[in-house]
Amino acid sequence: MRNFMKKFLDYLAGIGNALFFLFRVFGNILRGRIRIKELLKQIYEQGYQSVLIIMLTSLASGLVLALQGYVAMVRFGAKEYIAHLVALSLVRELGPVFTALIFSGKAGARITAELGTMNVNDQILATKTLGVDPVEFLVVPRMLACIIVVPILTILAEVVGIAGGYFIGVFEANIQSSFYIHQTIRAIHYVDFFSGFIKTFFFALLIGWVCCYKGYYTKGGSLGVGRYTTQAVANSYILIIIANVILTKIILTFWG
Amino acid sequence: MIEISHLCKKFDDQLVLDDINLKISEGELLVVLGGSGTGKSVLLKHMMGLLKPDEGSICIDSVDITKLSDKELIGIRKKIGYLFQEGALYDFMTVFENLAFPLTEHTRLRKPEIARRVKEILAIVDLEGIEEKFPEELSGGMKKRVALARSIILDSKLLLCDEPTSGLDPIRSRDISDLIKTVSLRMKCTTIVTSHDIRNSFRIADRVVLIRDGRIVASGTQKELERSSDTFVKEFIS
Repeated sequence: MRNFMKKFLDYLAGIGNALFFLFRVFGNILRGRIRIKELLKQIYEQGYQSVLIIMLTSLASGLVLALQGYVAMVRFGAKEYIAHLVALSLVRELGPVFTALIFSGKAGARITAELGTMNVNDQILATKTLGVDPVEFLVVPRMLACIIVVPILTILAEVVGIAGGYFIGVFEANIQSSFYIHQTIRAIHYVDFFSGFIKTFFFALLIGWVCCYKGYYTKGGSLGVGRYTTQAVANSYILIIIANVILTKIILTFWG
Repeated sequence: MIEISHLCKKFDDQLVLDDINLKISEGELLVVLGGSGTGKSVLLKHMMGLLKPDEGSICIDSVDITKLSDKELIGIRKKIGYLFQEGALYDFMTVFENLAFPLTEHTRLRKPEIARRVKEILAIVDLEGIEEKFPEELSGGMKKRVALARSIILDSKLLLCDEPTSGLDPIRSRDISDLIKTVSLRMKCTTIVTSHDIRNSFRIADRVVLIRDGRIVASGTQKELERSSDTFVKEFIS
């Protein structure tokens, strides 16, 4: 019982520490302590690292959605609606969620491993001894880059996914090209687009927060770096999935 | 002038620093000797304001740094150089960028002046021409020299060196110890070195302090320590 209480209290302290860490990051951002050069470097590295795998995954999603949709809709004589199915699924749900999950596994893991290695090698402490705030120098650019890169990657993923659906629709289901494009444009209302797009900012914040926090407080040498990186990815996956359910419910309730 | 009074620090139930009292004169090179886990590094971290003591004070030029806020400590840290055991150089930066970093952060020097200062400081540590190398391309001894250069590049008046000879062979240990002495004299800075390397400590120190279980058990020059009747002191330095 005593052991359980200790673990529970440690867990609460961990949440408090993580929230305090987030406030420190926002404090720096609100005071304009943003290092543009570092931010641009992070945007390039995080975006460049994730773009190919995200494009491939979303292309595959679009292809599979259209193939499955074609099989199902032909039964009802409604194959013209494949474009609706693909576009709405990708824009409202799959695009934001898949992009966030893949980004977390690639760029998020990299953030934790980088900061974790710096921590176990005393580089974060060295930043303090040089009279520089390590949160401002190392964490703020990484978190901000996540918030900028994830929404951009999501839009790219949606476009590529829709293109995948287009190929199946046109070449497999023999829908006329102009008709498919027209149906896609008609299917996506601004509510559909923004209901998915808004989520990306929350997902990006969660990934940046969890991965930076875990990296910043990594302990236990090289083994610790591996352990904390795995924890960071697993935790951000769980948080993205939970956040998606909550955000979907809120958006559907207030926006439809 | 540095004055440490009644400094105590506990981690959980373990007392790591136990009523440390120490005065260090300006320009003095003091070596804090002791075995592993005796609190030497913890003492240095307190002097840098990286840890807050449970009790006691650390006055640097009459300012008690234990009472300062994080923001105020940033100002103090600019004046203190800290050499880490493994150097702690940024591995994503070249040697030049590592050395230029404190200058770009805390001075208004222009690029040519920064380049000149980096070249100067590399000459002091006998490492000319390695500006474009990354830390991973350097040997352990070279990394420590670059780290030493980084710690004094802002003309620090207090230099703290945490086990600078750990992980080095005897020859490199002697070289880095001599370099610390040379730099200390040349920059006219007060220097505090933690070590368990007795021979090199006596080579460079103006005074040696011996720590055991978080307490100072002896203080003095090599000869004074050799004359000590304390069994632990005799055993440690023999």
